[in-house]
Amino acid sequence: MTVKQFFKSQAFKCIIVLLVIALVAGGLLAILNDVLYVTEEERTMRAIEKVYGKEMNYQEKEYSSDQLVNDYGTLSKVYLLENGNYLVQATGGEGYKGGTITVWVVLTARDGAFGGIEKVVLESYEKQTLMSKLTYDVYSAHNDEITGDVYFTTGGDGIKVLISGATYSANALNNAVDCALQFAREVLFATEPEEVA
Amino acid sequence: MTGKRFKTIAFDGLLKNNPTLRLVLGTCPTLALSTAAFNGIGMGLAVTFILICSNVLISLLRKTIPNAVRIPAFVIIIATFVTIVRMLLDKFIPSLYDSMGVYLPLIVVNCIILGRAESFASKNKVLDSACDGLFTGLGFTAALTLIGAVREILGAGAIFGYTLWDFKIEFFTSSAGAFFVYGLAIAIFNAVYTKIENVRRSKTFALRIMPKPDVSAPDNLDPEASEQAQADSAAQTAKEVK
Repeated sequence: MTVKQFFKSQAFKCIIVLLVIALVAGGLLAILNDVLYVTEEERTMRAIEKVYGKEMNYQEKEYSSDQLVNDYGTLSKVYLLENGNYLVQATGGEGYKGGTITVWVVLTARDGAFGGIEKVVLESYEKQTLMSKLTYDVYSAHNDEITGDVYFTTGGDGIKVLISGATYSANALNNAVDCALQFAREVLFATEPEEVA
Repeated sequence: MTGKRFKTIAFDGLLKNNPTLRLVLGTCPTLALSTAAFNGIGMGLAVTFILICSNVLISLLRKTIPNAVRIPAFVIIIATFVTIVRMLLDKFIPSLYDSMGVYLPLIVVNCIILGRAESFASKNKVLDSACDGLFTGLGFTAALTLIGAVREILGAGAIFGYTLWDFKIEFFTSSAGAFFVYGLAIAIFNAVYTKIENVRRSKTFALRIMPKPDVSAPDNLDPEASEQAQADSAAQTAKEVK
């Protein structure tokens, strides 16, 4: 096949048609992506609305990656809200099929010290097929004034939050809340040890 | 487009070729997103929008797209509209965007959309294709909403998020419950549809083979007797057809 024949062939027409369709579609999506882009501030405001049902001013707090990872999971965002509480996004592992659950946790401050958990709201999850069992009551079970060095657990010592039939998902949820709890105790509201004279 | 053609397309999309209850297409989102009626409406309307847009564009380009590359071309077009719907939902209805999760991008490979593009839009005029997209989408939306409503009422004791009572059967919120309700919906829909279709066919058949009344005969001058004879003949034919 000569070059001239190729340009007149059906194969060349196919290539051109597909190329034009792909280019037009790509261009259209690029423009729309610019117009409909959801900013990080907008996403944060949505999270605050999800938790409080209204918009609220906030300040983003920066921490090192070592401080954001602990025994129970990983924290991805920490915000100080205008009412003095902290809103953190925590992900807990060891769920069903090794999946995760990510929640927003509101940590309350009382006289500069850690007061407890005000609210837990689901953000997203991975591989958890029985999430419908995690009802509003299950998230509310974590809202408490927490005193002492206790954590949430599906069994053994600690504050027991167990969901019959969805033990692994309950485990991931407890880990996510415990992750926020440990961060509050060891980083957010940690008191500096007094220097010995 | 004639009125008769419009009626045929509407009847096909909504009932005769209902994608969910007659053709059993789009099963994956039907089972996964029918936990609540609102999710069903959201998914159904998203698919309807994509169906109309892709059908119109594919119909417009049907003489330009070479036959050899029609499937990849259709997939690019459908994927473009799915991405636009994703962007719109994420921007304006984030709660629905979150609840639809992974099933929203999976609309790209939804067999209803690709099926209508391949079997209808690539062979018909733009207006016909738009109507086909609209009514097929509405048929899908109605089926999803119906299944979602049943599952929400029985599984959560609520409808469209409003609590009706405390009575709940958790089985209906599970995957097994989805299969159960879906199967029942298909069975009931097809039983009713087949019955109606049989009656319609027997009536049409009876009218076709019914002998014309002999107006010259003195007995047939009596209108009451003539009507009785016609009714008897139709009933006899219907019996034979059955």
